[in-house]
Amino acid sequence: MMTSLISRIQSVLGEPRRGSSKDEAKQRLKLLLIHDQVDLSPAQLQAMKAELLDVIARYVEIDREAMEIRLSKEGGQVALVSTMPVRRVTSRAAAAAS
Amino acid sequence: MAECIVITSGKGGVGKTTTSANLATGLALSGKKVVAIDADIGLRNLDVILGLENRIVYDLVQVIEGECRLKQALIRDKRVEGLSLLPAAQTRDKSSVRPEDMKKLVNDLKELGTDYIIIDCPAGIEQGFKNSIAGADRAIIVTTPEVSAIRDADRIIGLVEAHELPEPKLILNRYRPGLVARGDMMNREDILEILAIPLMGIIPDHEEIVISANRGSPVVFDELSVVGAAYRRIVRRVLGEEVEIPSFDVQDDGVWASFKRWMGLTAAREVV
Ligand SMILES: Nc1ncnc2c1ncn2[C@@H]1O[C@H](COP(=O)(O)OP(=O)(O)OP(=O)(O)O)[C@@H](O)[C@H]1O
Ligand SMILES: [Mg+2]
Repeated sequence: MMTSLISRIQSVLGEPRRGSSKDEAKQRLKLLLIHDQVDLSPAQLQAMKAELLDVIARYVEIDREAMEIRLSKEGGQVALVSTMPVRRVTSRAAAAAS
Repeated sequence: MAECIVITSGKGGVGKTTTSANLATGLALSGKKVVAIDADIGLRNLDVILGLENRIVYDLVQVIEGECRLKQALIRDKRVEGLSLLPAAQTRDKSSVRPEDMKKLVNDLKELGTDYIIIDCPAGIEQGFKNSIAGADRAIIVTTPEVSAIRDADRIIGLVEAHELPEPKLILNRYRPGLVARGDMMNREDILEILAIPLMGIIPDHEEIVISANRGSPVVFDELSVVGAAYRRIVRRVLGEEVEIPSFDVQDDGVWASFKRWMGLTAAREVV
């Protein structure tokens, strides 16, 4: 509520601001542009993550909480980057392999 | 009684999206059930101004094409009870929506128990404008105190009236009391003399709008902001209250007044 007042007082006191609004703008914008480029919103990405987890869980046991998935942009190329810490191969997958 | 209000202007960039976000948020803060519709297909922005861009799953075109249910596409704002956004599609064009679609959409929202539907209209007088006014019960025209914006507002007023919407109301945005005092900006009387429609409110030109856009948090949330107060008065007028429209005057240049301005407590002194 009192954000503008508080940030002004903080700037007088020489206190580093709770993140300037321009930094917030830049961060939001970067994310927005990547998602716009592939027409996939962060919420849709989360939905995809849940579906992926369900598929992968049929083969390996992964740490659902620690799984990360995001869009990243390197040299103009947007990539889907994901890390899924594996706990162990599930018995069904092991059975299929044998 | 549910009501659908379209926020339009003719000229681009005069503050339709900012006004839509603040009006919708302000009405919800007053306890109403509100849905803000972004009708700017292909150039959506209301999501960003409301700070809801990360939560979009479905959009207006998908609702119209039956890909999802209306309720699924509504994004509930977690900061205020009763506010939802229906986002525009970003990768489609305006021809994917017809006026009949918008009429149906608005009726469906009314049946869901919405009190106010606020439509953020795209700039121009073509398809997007026609879609936006199709389901509306009344119109609010946003203009800035500039010749080109007022000329376009006049054109829009004619078009709105031709669509048999009752008398549109005016919001004068980006008002600069310093320039007005110097005689370098048209004042409220000058503009009302030309446009001859009732005034809904005056919003000063203020840096708080820039900061609130950076943060995705409409200024109407800020109880100390003069701009927020100006929007809150507009909200009360929309709700049918009689509220005086203060002028903004910068003549008061005393130390205390400048200090308060610098603290962001006032943009300029309000004079009734
Ligand atoms: N009262 C104000 N004070 C300062 N800046 C403002 C004010 N109103 C609007 N602006 C700025 O003007 C710009 C255009 O505003 P906005 O996007 O609301 O206009 P619009 O009419 O929706 O534009 P478009 O026609 O492109 O949809 C934005 O950068 C916004 O921050
Ligand atoms: Mg806009």
